[in-house]
Amino acid sequence: MPSFDFITLLWWGLPLAAAPIVIHLINLLRHRVVRWPAMEFLLASQRKYRTRILLRQLLLLLLRVLAIVGLVLLFAQPRWVTNLGSILGSSRTRHVVLLDDSYSMGEVLRTEVSPDVPPTTAMTRGCTMIERLLEELVSTPGEQDFSLGLVSKLKQKNNKASTTDQDSSKSPNKEAEGNRFDIYTEIITPQNIDSSRISVKKIRPSASTTQITPAIRNITPLFSGDDGSGVLWLLTDLRKTDWAASADIAEALKPLADKGIEIHIVDTATADSDANILPNLSRSNLVVERIEMIGGTPVANVLLPWEVTIRNYSTSPSQQVSLAIQEDLLDRPGVQVDPIPPGDIATIRFESRFQNTGGHTVQVELPADRLLLDNQRTATVEVVDEAEVLVITTTTNRNSLDNDSFYLTTALNPGTSAATGLRPRIEPPRALTTLDLDTFDSVWLLDVPRLDATAIRPLEDYARNGGGVVFFVGPNTDYKAINNSMFRAGEGLFPVPLAGAVDLLKDQQNPNAPDITAEDHPVVAILSGRRNPFLDAVNIDRYMAVERTYQPSADSGLRRLLSLRNKNYLAVEKPFGKGMGVTFLSTAAPTWNNWARNNPSWVVVILELERHLARLRRQYKTILIGQPIEIDLEQGIDRVDIDFLLPPENRIVHEVASMSQDGNLAAVMDNTLEPGIYRARWQTAAGVRQEWTGAVNINPTEGNLERLPIAELPESLPGISFLYDRADSLKPTNENRGSSSLVRPVLFTLLIILLCEQLLSYSVSYHRAHKKN
Amino acid sequence: MTPASKQYLPPEVLARIGRLDLRARAVVEGVLTGMHKSPYKGNSVEFLQHREYTRGDDLRRVDWKVWGRQDRFYVKEYENETNLRLFLLVDGSSSMDYIPPRFDQLPGLTKYDYAATLATSLAWLGLSQGDAVGASIFDEQVRTSVPARTNRSHLSSLIAGLEKPRQKHCSDFHAVLRNLAENLPRRGLVIIFSDLFGEREALYKGLQVLRQRGHDVAICHVLDDDELDFPFEGPTRFEGLELGGEISCNPRALRDGYLQAMEQFLGEVRHRSAASQCDYQLVRTSQAVDKTLVNFLSRRSKTRGRS
Repeated sequence: MPSFDFITLLWWGLPLAAAPIVIHLINLLRHRVVRWPAMEFLLASQRKYRTRILLRQLLLLLLRVLAIVGLVLLFAQPRWVTNLGSILGSSRTRHVVLLDDSYSMGEVLRTEVSPDVPPTTAMTRGCTMIERLLEELVSTPGEQDFSLGLVSKLKQKNNKASTTDQDSSKSPNKEAEGNRFDIYTEIITPQNIDSSRISVKKIRPSASTTQITPAIRNITPLFSGDDGSGVLWLLTDLRKTDWAASADIAEALKPLADKGIEIHIVDTATADSDANILPNLSRSNLVVERIEMIGGTPVANVLLPWEVTIRNYSTSPSQQVSLAIQEDLLDRPGVQVDPIPPGDIATIRFESRFQNTGGHTVQVELPADRLLLDNQRTATVEVVDEAEVLVITTTTNRNSLDNDSFYLTTALNPGTSAATGLRPRIEPPRALTTLDLDTFDSVWLLDVPRLDATAIRPLEDYARNGGGVVFFVGPNTDYKAINNSMFRAGEGLFPVPLAGAVDLLKDQQNPNAPDITAEDHPVVAILSGRRNPFLDAVNIDRYMAVERTYQPSADSGLRRLLSLRNKNYLAVEKPFGKGMGVTFLSTAAPTWNNWARNNPSWVVVILELERHLARLRRQYKTILIGQPIEIDLEQGIDRVDIDFLLPPENRIVHEVASMSQDGNLAAVMDNTLEPGIYRARWQTAAGVRQEWTGAVNINPTEGNLERLPIAELPESLPGISFLYDRADSLKPTNENRGSSSLVRPVLFTLLIILLCEQLLSYSVSYHRAHKKN
Repeated sequence: MTPASKQYLPPEVLARIGRLDLRARAVVEGVLTGMHKSPYKGNSVEFLQHREYTRGDDLRRVDWKVWGRQDRFYVKEYENETNLRLFLLVDGSSSMDYIPPRFDQLPGLTKYDYAATLATSLAWLGLSQGDAVGASIFDEQVRTSVPARTNRSHLSSLIAGLEKPRQKHCSDFHAVLRNLAENLPRRGLVIIFSDLFGEREALYKGLQVLRQRGHDVAICHVLDDDELDFPFEGPTRFEGLELGGEISCNPRALRDGYLQAMEQFLGEVRHRSAASQCDYQLVRTSQAVDKTLVNFLSRRSKTRGRS
């Protein structure tokens, strides 16, 4: 069926086709009168040629009408829908636009002089291109079916749709599927283009990362019924991390390419005019990769150590910038970040102190650069009054100078002048069976001779769930019982098998050599270095030797903290479940060594070890955009009403936490598409109000803005036929989109008509013969 | 225009001369005096030729000198230069008054003007040679008739007759020619100036009647260029001058058919004229009258010579 690019010209131009007829009629009225003598011959001629004259006149008139019609058609740009489907009544072309809305699409590519004009980003270029495409589709003949989907919404499998698919593959749950699209299978017409344009204008970069492959797989069913007339517009910033060696993308595109779908990869981040980009912004892109409280249990009024990692994702060194810090959204002095080499990271440490218990936030932010969203990162801490540490000992006289617990508790809680927030609780071994170990920051066992199975089980459960257990051996330790019950050939919590107590013999050849050496471990960092005075001051007289034949397996995770001069173990850790077991093969009290006596490194190492173990239990899970927030609630009740406060405007979302099949009660928040601080509020069965504070952050890898060289794109998509376009220069044309232009045939026909008209006119007209001399 | 043709007066120049006598004079002065000789042979001092004697010849005309030299009888023949009765028959029907559209820009002679000028010029020449010249103007009947006289002053009568107002009806050749044949007292040369538009069979019958009475008949078929070439363009309504009726048409479409019919008409007239032993000459009104006159005279001279 023919259609026209400028159909209004048709309505204006076609009446002109009547012009020859009108002129003919006017001429009939305006004829000249000649009084003619030879009327007889004229009448004879008329009688003879009446039919021929009439036919010639009609033919001439028809040719002139056709010439005008042809001219009008030429200006109206006629097309003919060539697909077989159009003959059968379905001249529909499906256009699916898959827009990469990862936060890297927010990269500022150009700033305008006027502050009122928003800067040009990869996303704005993409949206502009989509608007141009919409305008083009309006003037395209046939039905132009248009769908627009964002990668962030389409990357997840539509469970509802897939369930329905299983029931009936031919009738997908279109409503559920359509909700994932910004524009879903809409026929673009002049009437609805404005609403489509508004939908496009609302699109903003999400905070998610690029996951093109699942999105392509999810839009593939849209082309299921197409016969090669579909077009996929894939708008992306072509970051190297996503597209280099992207075999999975090629695999996802292959079914579409095999089906004859026209694939356009539209580059939104590259333009010829980008040579003088960002006159006022740094060309480097600094990303806050990590912020973490590296201390143990966060306790009120105790300085909490924080560590921030900043990466420079660019090809040039960064400038010196200031890292802004906010504690509970209140500004505090920032930290200078020295220039970072290209691709390298810088680690920044600072400390914070919170007066009150409860959830607190710490936010760091870099100055604005090309990509704003990755300049900020948030962390939360649950500050407590104090952290209780369980100390198990069999010594009754706790104030004795030979008592291990004395030296340990003194190190853990030196006093009010040096608050650590730790509160040691000294208990006999039987307490292991009676106390809830999960309430303790860590458990320390001091020269415990043996433990029976009833005590070992909760202890190992504690460690398995993330707790840290420290063993100090001593004269009372029954090493054989330890081996049998706690080491258990490597299966137990105790890290190494013991062979009995032995003296550390003096080194006759090198009498000044230190008795211990510190391994590369943060807990014993204070003792590191070859001429460390703290190390020299430690003398080990006796220790518990490890079985000579013991060779830890490669996957045991055994790690030395300290070694003796004779290469024997002194302190060693072994992961156990989520937690850890640590063994000091000497006494805590200065019975077998002098370390705890007047050596400050003892206090430091003990506090570092406690912090090291406490982090295992209190390690905050980093929640990235799109990952669900799961809050474990109290057990014993069936359901809890919980309100989530979502950033950035603390929108309240009510959820009901129900008991799962495994008996756990947990509240889950899936809508984590915005970075920031998430809060949850609920009441316990006893009516106590509870609050949870957590931070959701972006995936920092998206901040790597390195582009895939265009020349490498075909290599990344082997076997896929595609067209590469730039969003700013792409002018979508529908020359062959379901129709073929009739301009040329009409032009030829018009020329033929004009030629025939001229010949016929010449033949019926009188031409005065040239007089010969 | 060739140097030879420059001596002729173009019709548009002649048309500026209002009076017919002056027009005729302008034409005749360009023609050589004495060029016209009588086609009739008779007694004269001007020897023409010898002819072998046949039974019945007047013995007075035998050249005895030749008999004495050759012992054969030959008779002498002489030119007869006198006593030609020339009768000019000018068509005064309405079709002769066709005024071509080109006269809007350039003056010219209508067919009647042309025919009258030509007739007057011939009359002038005839009278100057002592021939008796008469004239008639006709349409469906003879409207004006001037009897043949030899007196040179008779020319004014002829001109007055030709300049008389006409009634401009249709031509009826048969009636007119029959009437003429019956009324002409002696045989002579009848020259018909007409466009010959009318009943053709009547024309042919009329010619035959004239011929049967022994008249020598010459037809000067006067037609306008437009009638011969039909150069019209654009929507035109043709209204019949004689026959009546009208046609609104694009002339270009009818041209071929018209020219074909005209050609057929001319061919037929030429053929039937020859069959009736009438001298026929087609004359365009765009042609110089004096040239036409010269052509006519030379043609007549050759024709008589052959006969």
